[in-house]
Amino acid sequence: MLKQILNKFLILNDVQAAIVIQENGEIIESMKSGIVIKEVLQDVISTIMLDSKKTAAQFGNASLSMVFVEFSDYFLILGPVMEEFYLVIIAKNTANIGQITYEMKKNQDAIVSLL
Amino acid sequence: MIDQLPEGKSIGWMQAPPQWIFTHTIRFIGVVRVVIQDGEGFILIKKGKALMYYFKHGRIELRGHAALDYFNSNPTIEFNLCKYTPEEFSQALKICDVEETMPEPAEVQEQEPARPAPAEIVEMPEEEQVISRSEQPPPLQPELSEPVTETPVAAVPVKLETPAPVQPVPTKPAVAVPVKPTTVVPERPFVPQPAVLEDPDIKIIGQIKKLNGIVAISVFNDDRNILLMGDVEIEPLLKIARTMLATTNKITPHLDWGSFVHMTLQIPEGNVIIAPYHENHLCILTTRTINIGHIRRILRDLQQERGQGVML
Repeated sequence: MLKQILNKFLILNDVQAAIVIQENGEIIESMKSGIVIKEVLQDVISTIMLDSKKTAAQFGNASLSMVFVEFSDYFLILGPVMEEFYLVIIAKNTANIGQITYEMKKNQDAIVSLL
Repeated sequence: MIDQLPEGKSIGWMQAPPQWIFTHTIRFIGVVRVVIQDGEGFILIKKGKALMYYFKHGRIELRGHAALDYFNSNPTIEFNLCKYTPEEFSQALKICDVEETMPEPAEVQEQEPARPAPAEIVEMPEEEQVISRSEQPPPLQPELSEPVTETPVAAVPVKLETPAPVQPVPTKPAVAVPVKPTTVVPERPFVPQPAVLEDPDIKIIGQIKKLNGIVAISVFNDDRNILLMGDVEIEPLLKIARTMLATTNKITPHLDWGSFVHMTLQIPEGNVIIAPYHENHLCILTTRTINIGHIRRILRDLQQERGQGVML
């Protein structure tokens, strides 16, 4: 069921992976296309999650809404789903970032219900 | 005097150490309007050369090196770079009564706003002024027009009727000391720092700041804030920006995704964005309603131009 939801992201133009992941880097579920999720990538995502959470806390304990990390070829969007669970989307830089974030918000409750 | 100056074309308000102004205005012709607490002043600049320093707080007027010393006594000052056309610049020179080739005199005056400038300046013919100023180097200590206290505080021995604008000296609470309370103010030759930002850079940063939803924008490096536009406390923002930068430094070597473009942290109150900018970094604070796509395009364009070796 979670795969079906993640697949909604994968059908978006130039999205390479949709992952539900824990803060410690453990992948709960993922859907990917043309990308291999190696351990190092899991570590990278984990670093972003943990660091961003701490950074957001510097704004008077603000909650983290979303994190974008963009490189010249790919970008990563990370949004908290619940507690230590995050939804991560990896896409080519030609992907529509607005569409992705819209889908993330739209499907958040459905993902939460499956965790 | 400030009100009489031509407006010029504002590039934008920013906060930076006073020395920044002199090292980043090599191609700038215009006026730098300075605001320090309740006082305001200006520096008339032609291509990096300061022709006139002026600051006024209440009835206190500082000119020349006294004003410069006061500017330098603040770690950072808030200012607005306003470009002049040749006509505006000529007009400003007339208003300031400055020949652009001569050094400005150091003076400290206490006077009523409507009171004319001291006779030695106002009544001298223009040519004599030039001779007089060029023959006499600016004094190391500002001169007094009206000493009103017996305390020989060389920096600014004048008495304020209003509260001291900045840095009151605890031992002399009744004396306004808008400059460092030293007994001798040594002549400080400018030692230009390596230019970090060029005039076009400032323009670009100013243009980004003007976008809807941009609260503040800072250019920073590992050591310090280089430029800030926007009304925010820089230190907390820099702390966050550096934390984000540390995160990107940790992850970038492990990703084969091309060069780093930006990292955006979204919280309910808004966004914090960091991005590389030449050898420095940008930190942008925005409202939640900002068009991220727009900012993203700008940051990508900046990086592409940098990659193509285009001088911004």
